[in-house]
Amino acid sequence: MTPAALPGQGLRSRRWLLWAALLTLVALLLGVLVFLAAEYEQARDQAALESDATQVATDIRSGLLRNVQTLQSLHSVSPTPDSWVLPATELLNAHREIMRLEWRDATYRLLAARDTPFRGHLAGYLERDQFLPEMRQACESARRLSGPAFSASYFWPMSGGQGMELMEMCLPVVRPGEPMGFLVATYTLPGLLAELPGRSLLRDRGLAFTEPDGTRLALHSTVQGSQRSLSASALLDLPGHTLMLRLESPRRTGGLFPNVLTAVVGALSLALLAVLALFGRDMRRRQRAELEVAEALAFRKAMENSLVTGLRARGLDGRVTYVNPAFCQMVGLAPEQLIGTGLPAPWWPPELVDEYQQRQAVRLAGQTLPREGYESVFQRSDGTRFPVLIIEAPLIDAQGVQTGFMSAILDLTEQRRVEELNRASQDRLQATARLATVGEMASLLSHELNQPLAAIASYATGTLNLLQDVPETPVRADLALAMQRISEQAERAGRVIKSVADFVRRREQVHEPVAPQSLVDAIAPLLALQAKKLGIRLQVRMPAGISAVLCDRTMVEQVLLNLARNGMQAMPEGDPPQQSGLRVLTLSARQTRLHADTRPGGPARRLWVEFSVTDHGQGMSAEVQAQLFTPFFTTKSEGMGLGLSLCRTVIEQHGGALNHEAAQPRGTVFRFTLPAAGFVLPT
Amino acid sequence: MAGGRPIIRAMTEYPDAKVFLVDDDKGVRDALAWLLRTRRLLSDGFDSAEAFLDEVSRWSDEPRVPCCVLLDVRMPGMSGLALFDHLLALPWQAAMPVIFLSGHADVPTAVDAVKRGAFDFCEKPFSDNHLVDRVEQALHQSAGVLTQRQAQRSVQQRLDSLTERERDVMDLVVAGLPNKLVADQLNISVRTVEVHRSRVFEKMGVKSAVELANALRTP
Repeated sequence: MTPAALPGQGLRSRRWLLWAALLTLVALLLGVLVFLAAEYEQARDQAALESDATQVATDIRSGLLRNVQTLQSLHSVSPTPDSWVLPATELLNAHREIMRLEWRDATYRLLAARDTPFRGHLAGYLERDQFLPEMRQACESARRLSGPAFSASYFWPMSGGQGMELMEMCLPVVRPGEPMGFLVATYTLPGLLAELPGRSLLRDRGLAFTEPDGTRLALHSTVQGSQRSLSASALLDLPGHTLMLRLESPRRTGGLFPNVLTAVVGALSLALLAVLALFGRDMRRRQRAELEVAEALAFRKAMENSLVTGLRARGLDGRVTYVNPAFCQMVGLAPEQLIGTGLPAPWWPPELVDEYQQRQAVRLAGQTLPREGYESVFQRSDGTRFPVLIIEAPLIDAQGVQTGFMSAILDLTEQRRVEELNRASQDRLQATARLATVGEMASLLSHELNQPLAAIASYATGTLNLLQDVPETPVRADLALAMQRISEQAERAGRVIKSVADFVRRREQVHEPVAPQSLVDAIAPLLALQAKKLGIRLQVRMPAGISAVLCDRTMVEQVLLNLARNGMQAMPEGDPPQQSGLRVLTLSARQTRLHADTRPGGPARRLWVEFSVTDHGQGMSAEVQAQLFTPFFTTKSEGMGLGLSLCRTVIEQHGGALNHEAAQPRGTVFRFTLPAAGFVLPT
Repeated sequence: MAGGRPIIRAMTEYPDAKVFLVDDDKGVRDALAWLLRTRRLLSDGFDSAEAFLDEVSRWSDEPRVPCCVLLDVRMPGMSGLALFDHLLALPWQAAMPVIFLSGHADVPTAVDAVKRGAFDFCEKPFSDNHLVDRVEQALHQSAGVLTQRQAQRSVQQRLDSLTERERDVMDLVVAGLPNKLVADQLNISVRTVEVHRSRVFEKMGVKSAVELANALRTP
């Protein structure tokens, strides 16, 4: 099995490798998916943030523009420095992002100023004039632009180490007929951040003005407690100055609960993995099932191939759907030549086609098929015919519908041949048996007649002897003549018998060396038939290297057959019972120095072979034993009573002897001896 | 009818001879016994080989009177042939010749038996006196054998009665040596040799050296 296991192992490891690769790829894919989903979310957040940042910048700029208009309204009527203060104060109250409003003339001289009420005096800590350059710069820009302009931001320190970024806006005030002046508004950058953008945009977000290098100038709010945050910048382009606005937002990922998309992708991945696992299990189950099916198929194939019985399946239309190798061999055609062929089938002998067609029609008409099968004749591809036994059964499919017929076909050629052979050998045995019986009957009759004739002749001769002493008289002469005639006639009767016996026994008795085994073999088939019928086991005990015997083979076969049949008839069914184990008929042979006479000290002149036939029947009563060899004595109703006396005649003619004794534990053993040929014949 | 004189002679030859009839058929046994009696021959019948073998085994020694056996080849139980095998094993079998009685079917068997030492066989049914003639010839043989064995026994007895010295003298005399040479060889006087020699002749019941040599040659 080792060579078969190796490729299987290779296959398995390769399959594992494939599975590992698949799992890795799926895991990788899922990772990438999760990553991309997270990335996408982040990018979307970023984009939202960017647009929000832009929105914030727009809000601030539009707020500033609105402020410009509001500021211009301060000068829509020609104010005096005194009348200017009230509206300026109102304006400052409304706009908390503005720290201070100043009205300056063209030479930047302060005409009027007002501080926001929400903070301490702007100039409380540092002189306002220190920052005039920024104001001037803005105003210069404003004059050039003929519109509002902003200065760069600057840090305004305040008490307590604090301070804030401020930015000047200068608005030229031009009124016809009046000298040009400037309205300067000082914005706080935190104020801008706090007041101008829409509130909704700033929830949870950090907003700051930064320098281009990222340094925070002014902060409205920060993102709480998170290092991982998103940020977006937008430029706040103001006339004369540009500020960088930075909007920060906490990253929504990284928490205990992933965001929805990631969660969905993750869940899908898990589901995918689960499906993969299920699929894998299913695959393995399927593989196992496939393996089992393959094994079952191989088993069935081996079974079909090992059969000597031909198998053939046909559809209802008579088309062959299946044949096994034994069937192909029988008809001498390849499976390809058989499968699909219809009626008349290629194995039908042409002259029987009509008959077979009728049979097929009967079968299709729904007649039940004989369970024990029917005999038929098939034709091989070479044209030879052979007898077969066909046993057919309907072929029912899974739905219970008959789709055809399955037939088992037994080639009867060999069986027929054996039967023929058996019959022939039986005929031969019976013919010789008849001949032998006639011969032996003649011999028996001649013996039985010779005995009284011998007595008659003896009496006649004796009488003649006595007559010699009687004086010569006519009566004596007549008596002597009569006695003479009696003696002559007895002699004549003897001659007649002799000639008849000789005529019947014309067949020369040939005593040839015969192997004991071949004698038993010759009658074994005949005995087997009867033994089978009676449930008797035949046992042959033949020592190896036993000498051949000199005998007339057919006669001795008859004797053996007779004794064996007698033995079996002595064991009718049930006596002895089957379970006793005694239903055995033993044929055996052995070499012996003794003649059938078993007296100790008997002659040991030559080698004999002793055959014995042992049965375990009831045994014989003393009366039966006494008459056993009497001609015409029989215990059987249909017997002729010649069997045993004939057997004895045959054996004695061979110089042997036939006797019998009780067998152990019951029954009778018949023994007879034949002269050994003195050498061993190969059987 | 034929040869009347010899029959009469034969009748008187062995008045005490015994014929053993071994045949399972009583009719045949009786007929044969009767036939033999018409020729003044006594017979004993046995209905089986076993019975006869029992009888023989009871004998302590060879029969004292001439005898022969008429033996049927074919009998139930032990066959005539098997019985013959047993008889052949007897040391004095020659003193009891066996004549087989056979049906012609058994002729080959009987011929075989004759080759192995049977006196003869007669085919049934027997014609006139041929069988009885053969019986008498068998008895004649038996008598001859018995006489011979008797003679052997008596020579042996006489030899046993010789002294050692007489025996030595006899051996040299039988070898054909004259008395003088015998005396020289045995270192005794011629006179002593003569005494021994006459004693030997007397004991051995012979009258001359030639007769002595003949008597010794017989065994």
